Parts: sequence; C-alpha cells; structure tokens
Amino acid sequence: MEQLLAIWSEPLCVEQPDGSTLRDTLVLLDALSALCPFTEVVRLGLFVLPLRGPSRFFGGDDAVLRAVKQIVLDVVGTAPLLGVGEGLFCAELASRHEVIVPLGASDVFRRAQPLSVLGRKDLTTTCQRLGLHTLGAFADLEPARVAERFNKHATSLHRVARGELAEMEGQRDVRLARRLAQLRGEDDLFEEQTGFFGQRGAGDDRAEAAAHRVRRRLGADAIVVANLCGGRGPEDRATLVPWGSPLSNARDLAPWPGQLLAPSPATTLAHPVPVQLRDVDDRPVVMGARGSLSAEPSGIIFSSPLRREIIWHAGPWPLAERWWLRKRHRAHVQMVLATGEALLVVAEASRWWLVGIYD
Amino acid sequence: MTPSGYSYEHMFAFSPPRPSLSPELLATLRPVSLAKSRTLPLGEPWRALVPGGGLRRGSTVVVEAPLGLGGLSLALSLLSESSTLGHWAAVVGVDDPGVVAMAELGVDLRRVLFVPRPRGAWAESAADLLDGVDLLLVRPPSRPAHGTVRRLMDRVRERGTVLIALSEPRTPWPLPADLFFSVTQAEWVVSSRLDARYLTVRVSGRGAAVQSGEHVVVVPNRRGRAEAS
Repeated sequence: MEQLLAIWSEPLCVEQPDGSTLRDTLVLLDALSALCPFTEVVRLGLFVLPLRGPSRFFGGDDAVLRAVKQIVLDVVGTAPLLGVGEGLFCAELASRHEVIVPLGASDVFRRAQPLSVLGRKDLTTTCQRLGLHTLGAFADLEPARVAERFNKHATSLHRVARGELAEMEGQRDVRLARRLAQLRGEDDLFEEQTGFFGQRGAGDDRAEAAAHRVRRRLGADAIVVANLCGGRGPEDRATLVPWGSPLSNARDLAPWPGQLLAPSPATTLAHPVPVQLRDVDDRPVVMGARGSLSAEPSGIIFSSPLRREIIWHAGPWPLAERWWLRKRHRAHVQMVLATGEALLVVAEASRWWLVGIYD
Repeated sequence: MTPSGYSYEHMFAFSPPRPSLSPELLATLRPVSLAKSRTLPLGEPWRALVPGGGLRRGSTVVVEAPLGLGGLSLALSLLSESSTLGHWAAVVGVDDPGVVAMAELGVDLRRVLFVPRPRGAWAESAADLLDGVDLLLVRPPSRPAHGTVRRLMDRVRERGTVLIALSEPRTPWPLPADLFFSVTQAEWVVSSRLDARYLTVRVSGRGAAVQSGEHVVVVPNRRGRAEAS
C-alpha cells in the first residue's frame, strides 16, 4: 500500500452557509497541487497526497511536512494536523494522532486503535460485549464468523481492520469533486459522466440502464468505455476506463509525429506478454542501441514449447521518446507468421513484448 | 367505459397538451423511426454482399474464423455503419479490444460499451445488455452450451437486437444463425509495413434471398477500414 500524507484542517471541515468553505478548499487544493499534482481532497477538511514522490523531490519527509504546514497556514490561517500512514484509512488515523507511521508499521498501528474509529456504534457495542476492544482483536475474528453475525457493511469494515481494504466505505465524499468542479466552472468533465456524452436520446438512456445492470452483476470495473488519446503505438493511444468515471478531455485529434500507421491491431493487449525472437540458428534476436536488430528474426516463442515461424517482418521503428531514460528505448516490429497471423511486438528494456494481434 | 360508468377520457381531460418544439430543436433530434426500423445498416463492402443490405433486427449473425485470422476485424466492421448513425453497441468477452483499430474501422467509440472479462457470466452480461444496445458482439470464452445459446437467441429475437457471435471452427456456435460469415483464407499484402489483408469470406444464411458464396474483401485496408477488393 502506498504511503499517504493526510492533511486535516479543522476550519474547513464544517461547511459554512456562505460558501466560503468550498472556495477555501479549492484554493488550498490548488496550492497543494502545486506541491504535488496528485493531491486529492477526500472530503471537506481532509486532503491526502502520496508522500514518496514529493519526499524525494524536496529532500525528505520533513521538508514536505514543513512545506505543507506552511501552505495550510498561509491559506487557512491555522496549522493543520498532519499524519502519514499506508492507505487512506491509516493515513487519516495518523493525522488524528499527528504521527508518522513508518513503512511496514501500519499494521501494528491499525491494530492498536479502539473499535470506535470505525464509526459504527452498534458494531462497537456488540464487540465490546464480546470482549473485543481493539481493531486488532476484531480483525482476528474469522471472516466467515463476521459474515455470519453481522451485515455486509460490517464485513467490509472487517476487511479494513484486517488491512485488506485501504479505505472505509463512506470515508470519501464522492460528490465533493463534482461540486468543486462546478465551482470552478469546469463541469463539462462530469457532464460527460452523467449525461454520457452530451446530446442524449432514448437510446442513450437505455444503454445507461443496461450498463448499470452489468455493473451490479459484475462489479464496478467490469464494464468499460474507450477513449482515444495521443500516443505513438496503439497500446498508448487507447484508454479503457470503467464506465461512469470521468473521461479525460484529451481527444485524439492532433497529428502525432511518429505514430504507427493504420491498420492497427484489432486485439491490443492491456498487459503485454513477454515473447522471444530467434534467428535461423535459434539464437535470441536483440535490438541494438541504434535500433537495429542483431539478426533477422525467423521464429517467435510465446511460452517455451510454442514456437512459430516468422515469414516477414517490418521495422524496428524506434520511438524516440523519453530518451533520458535508457530503459525506455522502445521500437515496434510488425510480423507475419507462417500460419497467417500478423503480430505487433515491442522491444523494451532489451526484451520483446507482444502488444497486438491483427485478429 | 369502466363498469362504474366512468369514462377514462375524463381522467386525462386536464392533462396539459404536448409541448410544441422549436424548429431548431427539432433539427437536432434523432428520429424515433430510425431506432425502430427493421434493419440496421451495413457499410462497405457488406452492403452488397448481405441480402437487404443490412442486419435484420432480432437476427443472429455468426462470424467464424480461426483465431488470429481476421474474425474480430470482420465482426467489428459490421458494427461501424450503425454506430456512426447513432446506434449503441456492446462488446462482451473480447479480452483486449483494439480500440484504435475500431476507430479506424469507423466505429464511434462514444457509443460502445465493453465487458472485456465477464468472468464466466458472458451470457448473463449479454442478456443484461440486450435491452440497452442495438448491436451486441459476443465472443464466448469456450464452446457455448446449447441451452444458453438458445435462450440468448430467443431474447434477441424478442428484443429486436442484432447479436453478432464470434466463434472459432474448434468451438462452433451450436445453433444455426440467420447470417453466417466464415473466413476461409486470410492473406496479408505487405510493403514496408503491413498494408492490407484480403479475407476470403463465405457468406451464407437462412432465407431464400441469401446469395450464398465466397467473396474476397479487404479488412483492414491501408487506412484501417473495410472495403471490397
């Protein structure tokens, strides 16, 4: 789990009727985003940001904590409570105690907490009667026993107590991000989410209802929609996002130099599969630093017994991108196999990956 | 009249009349008749090869091809024309859809729902989506069961959706389809890169009007689209 810095600002957690709370939240979010672009507002008064990146950049956790404290002081006027822990649940608890939970110690920290931190009175009372007073004692119950005795909500809390879930249900204010976007006048992003994509018809409503049904059956990320963005290879250009999440505004309209030309593979693997290329003497084919192949590839090996003959290949077309990272040297190779399939493979980090099948 | 002598007309006597729409607004609306018309249009090259030039609502289309020999591209190319005209499509069971290839084929991605990994519930997910989309492309993970397929096809007929099933010769679709595409040969034309693929497709089906026969089509061509050879 990722180490998060939780920032708890007391004055911002109760919403004032004049709307100043939301405005201040927005100002603080922007200020913190300048420090770390991955800053999130979880709910009113609570912000989190991943600590690792900023800590490396600013030279240590303490430097980040100091900078964050100063920013909140400047914007809100009172110092925040800061805490560091793994996962949102632990991070928020740490901020209440104003402690930094070192990496790996989150488990101990979480288990020592009283049951009341779960925020469920009925659960706390029942457990106390059973002689369970800490999260650790609750976590030690067998999941099956908990499911027998309590409802679904308690089962999910049990998973939080065991450290299997990083955050509690209801810990996030899901409406807040949208309200902030409205305040900023950037509601379009979310219009797409609710209104699917602008103009609506009866067909759009039916499709939305159908998507809801599938989501209830298979879970939130089972149904996805596609979006195209800029990029060189087909594996970079396609983004599949769970249905209902806001789509990025970046559209694939601009010409992109060095883009792999059409046709694109009808199957683009989300997780590329490692493959090996061999020459006629069954030696591995590698790509040199200047983007040339060590030998003509004549065979491709998927998993060890499965080898296919290559009858034609084109490329490699090196992608001159992020040249400052040596291992980011990538190149595309198209090939046709003796059995008739056409494949797209990529050389990266001196290995070959199957990224597409022209199915 | 009800048995109590009460006329139903009275119940609606005070309901407001339908609001009239402004001409500018009317111009932006899609006609309802499009959604209800009995066939969904097909693009090139299929228009000339399929009877009626379209896919009849409520019918099942089976595309059979060995894995990797163009079956998926062919099936996706059947979606493109309808998708451009505003129909919704869903793709169930295609693990890693090539979204860029779909866009090149002319599919409007804003109206496509994907269920890439239905985890053993492909038929249930397909049934869930039937009411919501006009075209449903499914690739069953293994040989589909007879009963499951029959129930699905019955629902498709009832709902007026078009079901496009993608199968392999090893695991054929167990029931006869209204329209059957079978890829018998696939050949790539190459230059300095992959240029085009010539597919030999046998089109057959039920009904008198089907011109059964083998056709050579290009899917995809140099621009990633489908065309007649």
